[in-house]
Amino acid sequence: MDKYLEIIRIRFLMMLAYRTNYYTGIIIYIINIGAYYFLWKAIYGARGEVEGVSMVQMTTYIAIAWMARAFYFNNIDREIANDVRDGKVATELIRPYNYLLTKLMQALGEGLFRIFLFSLPGMIIVALIFPVNIPVEPELWFYFLVSITFSFIINTQINILTGLSSFFLMNNGGLIRAKRVLIDVFSGLVIPINLYPLWAQDIFKFLPFQSISYTPSMIFSKAFSYGELINALVMQGVWSLILILPIQIIWVYAKRKVIVQGG
Amino acid sequence: MSKIIEVNNLSKDYKITSSRSGLSGAFRDLFSRNYKHVTAVNDVSFHINRGEIVGYIGENGAGKSTTIKMLTGILTPSSGSIVINGMDPHKNREEYVKSIGVVFGQRSQLWWDIAVQESFRLLKKIYKVNDADYKRNMDLINSTLEIEGFLDQPVRKLSLGQRMRCELAAALIHNPQILFLDEPTIGLDVLVKMKIREFLKEINKEYKTTILLTTHDISDIEALCERVIMLDEGKIIYNGELESLRTSYAEGKEIVFEFKEKKAKAALEAATSSLPVTWSHLENDLKWIAKVHKNEISISDVMAAIVEKHEILDLKVREVALEEVIRKIYEEGIRNGQVS
Amino acid sequence: MHSVSVMLQYMAQYIKTRLQYRANLVIEFVSDLMFQGLNLIFILVVFGHTSNLNGWTRDEIIFIYGYFLIPFTLFISFFNIWDFNDRYIVNGELDRVLTRPVHSLFQVILERMELESLLGAITGFIVMGFAAARLNISLSLTDSLLFIPFVLGGTLVYAGIFVMIASIGFWSDARSSIMPMIYNIGNYGRYPVDIYNKAIRFVLTWVLPFAFVGMYPSAFFLHKKEWYTYAYLTPVMGILFFGLAILVWNTGIKRYRGSGS
Repeated sequence: MDKYLEIIRIRFLMMLAYRTNYYTGIIIYIINIGAYYFLWKAIYGARGEVEGVSMVQMTTYIAIAWMARAFYFNNIDREIANDVRDGKVATELIRPYNYLLTKLMQALGEGLFRIFLFSLPGMIIVALIFPVNIPVEPELWFYFLVSITFSFIINTQINILTGLSSFFLMNNGGLIRAKRVLIDVFSGLVIPINLYPLWAQDIFKFLPFQSISYTPSMIFSKAFSYGELINALVMQGVWSLILILPIQIIWVYAKRKVIVQGG
Repeated sequence: MSKIIEVNNLSKDYKITSSRSGLSGAFRDLFSRNYKHVTAVNDVSFHINRGEIVGYIGENGAGKSTTIKMLTGILTPSSGSIVINGMDPHKNREEYVKSIGVVFGQRSQLWWDIAVQESFRLLKKIYKVNDADYKRNMDLINSTLEIEGFLDQPVRKLSLGQRMRCELAAALIHNPQILFLDEPTIGLDVLVKMKIREFLKEINKEYKTTILLTTHDISDIEALCERVIMLDEGKIIYNGELESLRTSYAEGKEIVFEFKEKKAKAALEAATSSLPVTWSHLENDLKWIAKVHKNEISISDVMAAIVEKHEILDLKVREVALEEVIRKIYEEGIRNGQVS
Repeated sequence: MHSVSVMLQYMAQYIKTRLQYRANLVIEFVSDLMFQGLNLIFILVVFGHTSNLNGWTRDEIIFIYGYFLIPFTLFISFFNIWDFNDRYIVNGELDRVLTRPVHSLFQVILERMELESLLGAITGFIVMGFAAARLNISLSLTDSLLFIPFVLGGTLVYAGIFVMIASIGFWSDARSSIMPMIYNIGNYGRYPVDIYNKAIRFVLTWVLPFAFVGMYPSAFFLHKKEWYTYAYLTPVMGILFFGLAILVWNTGIKRYRGSGS
């Protein structure tokens, strides 16, 4: 376990060395939050609420959705693809650690860095610019933290799956891009899932995407009832378990491919 | 002979910026920077005649690349003048570069993913080369560089040697009057190096192409150049014939003796006391080197003097390697072509 | 003209290169389509809950988005200079560019173009056509004559802004993320500017005039008379900003050649 903690620490320090990039990152996220804020403001117009969600809740939702994205977002799909392309995977496989677990830990190191140096200051700035309502109830913060941990796990699992596709595809740059778009639309980042038509919502129930952004953002903006909240958290837990299965299966095949063809 | 390159009192000062730290630093850097001044090229003057091949040599950071960049119009001089082919390289860049070819050994001119011949076609278009000239040129290039076999391969699949030959061909598609080569043989094996040298001589003879090359490989210089310009800390320290560099800086020749029995230095010195020779030890008292100081005296005098008194197994006469000469010049820091 | 034939040659080379990885090209097309679809889905979902956005109907907003895609994809296809600083200045590729007898910006653009993105313009036409049919908009002769200068004007506005930002690399070697920042601001231009406050509206019109890419010219084709003056300004702003960008670029090149980075 020690070595994985070390991996987290090293990645955290690496991110710290490039921190200037993240200051502008915060500004970019604020620009995006602004774009959706003004759109929603125009949509709300004189109306008090849309689908039971007030404007302040909506603003809070947008803000926290983006700031949570800063935490769960990572590039390990691309990193895995690069390792495969450069043939580095073969050497990684003979090292005394689990390759995928290492990637997960690196992503965690990155995520922890961003939660403290990106999301936290970012959220403070956002709260100063836009009318958001930050919850004060400790139990809500607890649920929220549990929820974004699951978000991180599920998103990273999907990234690992995308990355592993590079074992079987010559060039998976397009696939990585497509996956990113897919997650932004269907995770609830740009549109809260409850605003989609009902038939679409029914489909989304069977997909892991809404567990990534919709669940934590709804918790934070107090738009979930207690029952919905527990239900959504359980779903997140279930998804993070289910996704282990395809990863393990593909990983076994991928390793076999490396051994047979030399990567 | 007519001068094709004329450089007078050329200097280049760099401002080296140091970045401030942090975001506020980055923003402040946008408006005002901290500078350090460095003179890369310092009051350099020389000229090159049409059809000459000249080696431009010096240690890393001596100012070679900076000079080449100014001569090719990439950089503008801080002061001084350059006239090449009647043009000022930095005034009318687009017109000027049509008359030159440039090869940077470390950087590719070709497009990575497409077949070499496609890159050539693109360059043919860029330089407006007509079909007849293109064909004549390519035939000459092919006959020496032998690149035909891999013209249909993308650059990324070529070996370094193959790529370098193509780079050279690419720089010559428009049959430039002047060719600038910056480290053209870096990292290449002996056979490819020889092929490239042979080719450079060929186009120099056929088209009277003037060639200026920088290199760290002295054998390039020995094979190609009659004249060298040597640079140290931005100043020219030697400008002249390669041969006279060797004779005036190198102290004659060396003879390596292998004796049958062990010898003492004193005994050898006694035998050659009337001749300008210094002895040094090579290995296990059997092998000794005699350095002959003046070229005028005959080596046979030295040999005769030794053979008369000592029995020898073997002997070798060798010229002091140019590389050694050049190393010595740098170590001793000779100024302005004066023999120390 | 020489530059046109050079450009065609570059394009031919580009297509040959891209065809080497056909499978990836197809996935890229699909992900581009998905990305364009994402914005459309957003508009459709939002209008499931409201009938108008500050007086603009759903089909009008869709029309603006469809129109916007045309100059935008032209920009993306030909001015893909995101990595200019890293690739050309830090890695020194600019030296090679400067030894060739073609204008440096023109070469950089030709080397970096991504023609496959042009597919987005077709999507744009389809989306716009669909919205126009639902809105019963008829194109008069003047409309169709103005279409091209409007589209080119919008493309040049985008190109001008990003060439100017890329030129910052000539002055500052600090790795900056200004480019993605401005790129995200560009998304503001896809919606009617009157949903924003005065300060943002001013910025989108005069400072980073992204409103001229999508919204102002679309308003002309939607026959919204109150925006006509702005719409007519589109080509002017395009030429102005791009001209300024070339000026900044040339100054930057001069500086680069003075300092050698």
